[in-house]
Amino acid sequence: MKRILTVICVMSVAGAAFAEGENVNIAPPAEASVSRADGLGAWTRIYDVTSHPRCSNCHVGANNIPMWSGPSYGNARPHGMNINAGDSRIGAEYTQCSTCHAFREDVNDVPHAAPQVAMNWQLAPVEAEWFGKTSDEICNQLRDPERNGGRDFNDIASHLDHDLILHWAWNPGEGREPAPYSLQEHVNDILAWGVAGYPCANDE
Amino acid sequence: MGRLKAIGRRSFLIGSAGVLGGVAFGTFMAVRPHDNPLTADLAEGEVVFNAFVKLTADGITLIVPHADIGQGVQSAQAALIAEEFDIEVDQATLSFGDPDPAYYNTAFADEGVPFMSFDESTVAETMRGVAGGVIKMIGLQGTGGSTSMSDQYEKLRLAGAVARETIKAAASLRTGVPVADLRTANASVILPNGETIAYVDLAAESSQISPATDIALRDPSEWRHIGKPMMRTDTVAKATGTQTFGIDLDLDGMVYASVRTNPRKGGAMISFDTKNAENMRGVQAIVPVTNGIAAIADNTWRAIQAVNEVVCEWGPAPYPAETAAHWDEVAASFVDDRLDQEWRVDGDVDAALAGENKITIENRAPYVAHQPLEPLNAIVRISDGLVEVWTGHQLPRFLQQQVAAVVGVDADSVQFYNQFSGGSFGHRLEFEYIKQATQIAMAMPGTPVKMTYSREEDFLQDYPRQLAMSRAQGIVENGQVTALSLDIAAPSVLASGGQRAGIVTPGPDAQIVAGAWNMPYDIPSLRVRGYRVPELAPISSWRSVGASHAGFLAENTLDELIRAAGADPMEERLRLVNHPVHRTVLETLAEMSNWGGDLGPNRGRGLALVESFGVPTAEVIEISMTDYGIKLDKVYVVADVGQVIDPVNFENQVQGGVVWGLGHAINSEITYSDGVAEQTNYHAAEGMRIFQTPEIVVRGLENATKIRGIGEPPVPPAAPALASAIFDLTGERPREMPFFKSFDFV
Amino acid sequence: MQLLVNGEERTVDVEDDMPLLWVLRDELGLKGTKYGCGIAQCGACTVHMDGVAVRSCQVAAATADGAEVVTIEGLGSPDALHAVQDAWIAHQVAQCGYCQSGQIMQAASLLETNPEPTDDDIDIVMGGNLCRCGTYPRIRAAVKTAAAKLQEA
Repeated sequence: MKRILTVICVMSVAGAAFAEGENVNIAPPAEASVSRADGLGAWTRIYDVTSHPRCSNCHVGANNIPMWSGPSYGNARPHGMNINAGDSRIGAEYTQCSTCHAFREDVNDVPHAAPQVAMNWQLAPVEAEWFGKTSDEICNQLRDPERNGGRDFNDIASHLDHDLILHWAWNPGEGREPAPYSLQEHVNDILAWGVAGYPCANDE
Repeated sequence: MGRLKAIGRRSFLIGSAGVLGGVAFGTFMAVRPHDNPLTADLAEGEVVFNAFVKLTADGITLIVPHADIGQGVQSAQAALIAEEFDIEVDQATLSFGDPDPAYYNTAFADEGVPFMSFDESTVAETMRGVAGGVIKMIGLQGTGGSTSMSDQYEKLRLAGAVARETIKAAASLRTGVPVADLRTANASVILPNGETIAYVDLAAESSQISPATDIALRDPSEWRHIGKPMMRTDTVAKATGTQTFGIDLDLDGMVYASVRTNPRKGGAMISFDTKNAENMRGVQAIVPVTNGIAAIADNTWRAIQAVNEVVCEWGPAPYPAETAAHWDEVAASFVDDRLDQEWRVDGDVDAALAGENKITIENRAPYVAHQPLEPLNAIVRISDGLVEVWTGHQLPRFLQQQVAAVVGVDADSVQFYNQFSGGSFGHRLEFEYIKQATQIAMAMPGTPVKMTYSREEDFLQDYPRQLAMSRAQGIVENGQVTALSLDIAAPSVLASGGQRAGIVTPGPDAQIVAGAWNMPYDIPSLRVRGYRVPELAPISSWRSVGASHAGFLAENTLDELIRAAGADPMEERLRLVNHPVHRTVLETLAEMSNWGGDLGPNRGRGLALVESFGVPTAEVIEISMTDYGIKLDKVYVVADVGQVIDPVNFENQVQGGVVWGLGHAINSEITYSDGVAEQTNYHAAEGMRIFQTPEIVVRGLENATKIRGIGEPPVPPAAPALASAIFDLTGERPREMPFFKSFDFV
Repeated sequence: MQLLVNGEERTVDVEDDMPLLWVLRDELGLKGTKYGCGIAQCGACTVHMDGVAVRSCQVAAATADGAEVVTIEGLGSPDALHAVQDAWIAHQVAQCGYCQSGQIMQAASLLETNPEPTDDDIDIVMGGNLCRCGTYPRIRAAVKTAAAKLQEA
């Protein structure tokens, strides 16, 4: 097990070394300027993104198995090749995600190849399980600092700005459907939803 | 015809020395249709004993003419010679030899004749003899149809024995010791006093005497190699990355090329624009080839990148653009004027089916790609009228003719160097890629050109296994299957492949019904008819050829009838089976797999028996239902090949055949949209991976009277055995491959 | 750019986006690493880069610049076999053999991380390496033999 731990340490440091991605403008609306109804509208669009295969396929639960689903995959199924990312969520215990999802700075232009970004490919933390979850479940998770990495809406927006693996969802390359809206629109929705007080439909 | 009969196997087995000599030297002396290719460049003091053994003062060379496409045939052929020659395989250099009619393969004849494999009647043997004689006369040198062992089993042992006895005669002349007192071992002659003379030291003297003719093959009890575990000669190289495949060859001054041809296979290229490609780094030329374009560059990747940048306008496909139209044509082929042959009629089928309670069954098998892991590639160099070709290929002589026709020279001007292939499964029976490499080389006289397909090009240009459909009617009564009429419609793979090889293939195509018409069952009323679908997309031999579809269609149909009768799949097949060798296969399998034993909950078990290439092969598959779908747990396989040459490689081949059959049955097909294959890489035609692979237990039996090969026979029973197990597990019958369209698998 | 390949400093002048696979094969003449699919579906091109198994068809030359690369030729040779190669020979795993360089490199990486793999571990880690000949039963057995041998050592 020693080797695995070493690898994990190296990987998390390497995660900081991403290249420049798409520029995101983080300009939250003025305090109290977003109604609850508009906040819920923003959430509906956020859910369109978080439940989209480009995002949810890697926001999976404690079995650590990424999914393949979406328009070009037929029925939802576990990632081919029997992939298991392990508790490390980067595959350190088995095959590292980076074995195939190599470091790449330019666009993914080879159809059907493993998606690549200029950082280490990995699963989202297990607390952020989205695959197959309802809008309310994801909404409650995303506003819960215990389960969202201690982030407020500004931190989430900043995370979207910096984490290039997230940028990939809107620019997945040939043969893959991008996440809906745009990265900037999604950041704007997050900010609006946060300013509106993180409303979820189940709050009543 | 009399002479052909005389050298048939039956006569040979009776075994007079004269007949033996006739076989041993049949090629060069008694029948002599072809000259010995090894004599052409023989120097003083060197000797060849036949087309398979060459001895010089420097060493021993064994010619092992069947192509090694991963089945280990180089090793097995060498072991057959070494068995009688009294050498160890590693004491000789092994060579694929030059393309030559002397390396004819008469075992191909067995597949085309309308007789049961175990029918050794005079008529059946005569027909095989006639077909084999034709093959011998035209010198059909080929690898395929699991024929290597049946073709070579006696030929190569005799070659070794002739060489051994001739060297002994030379040693006798030198020493004065009678031949009868000489022994041989370890590539040496041993004198009664224990002194040894190495074979190589007797090369010059051996070349001065006539080859021995009066030779009896050794009794199997004396065998040192055959039937015992061997170490394949290529094992170390393949574990260390040092095996050179065709794609790995480098020649001085070589350039690299890649092609793209119309993805609507056989369609024309209307126009092309090279401006994006021609200034790319390393690109030396862009040249048109038939129906496409080639980029020549200074490495493989640059050539592939460049050819992908050429903008091409492609003409329409010469076949229906959509898969649904292919199936419509197949479905429309169960009509009298497309009847290819009525292959089997037992009892009065029409009368038996006249009653009520008929069960009607339709099954389908799709197009499937070959896709061995080494992409197709070839090196061609054309200089001063000499054309040299380096690639792995199963039909060397046809290759020479095809290349010669492209260049406009005689076939004799084409020098072919066969290479180890990273798999074939029938893919390396085709010529298009070599013709393209030749066209590119014609644009670069004197320069060796290595042409490599991208994986995508390989998928798009793969001539797949034929699609096929069966329509059946059956009757079950009192727990028994009493009548079956099985009609199978498929395009002719023989005609499609033959056309490209320049061969006319008259008469019906046995591959439409292979593995079905010869089902080893006595069903009181049984009829099997083949219907020929006019050629649609080009198709090609795919591991186990016709039996890959017809074996599935027949056994899946029979299994459905058996289950409908409420009978046990094993017991009912045992009741119906009509030959003792096949019966023993089933009985052995039942015992081995503990057939009938309790499997526990959420589990199922299935069975199939298919005879292909003369080998009865039966498989039991056990499966489970899991959260992620069906999991394959364990497979038991029993096959009777007459004689297992190498039990290690035998087991490996059988396991591989089962994996091949199961993987493709589960998840692989080729479909066409706008005339283009929709599957362009392994993500869409995966075959089997390690985590899906069940434990596979193998047993080889040796009750059959003829020796047979094992490369293909394990494939056909795999799909129907799995379908049988899926029915057992779920109550639903898969009627169409690939099964993942209807069932989830792990 | 500079690479340390099988312990030797190698300099190549290639495009940034040329895959490491082709740098190894066509620029450096190391033919043991195979081209199978080009899209990380088959694993035939597997090598070790800075100690991690990678599909060399997916690694851009620019990414490999400065890296330490081990190919099948560097793992062991016919005269000095790595334990995994030795096990592959003992079990006579190969049929056509084209995928086996990649299988062996992946298996060696597996045993580096996990010296006592279970059947499930083997099925997970080797799941990305395709063998069209179907040698998987032997691969499983050989990985276990190699693991046992490395444990003894």
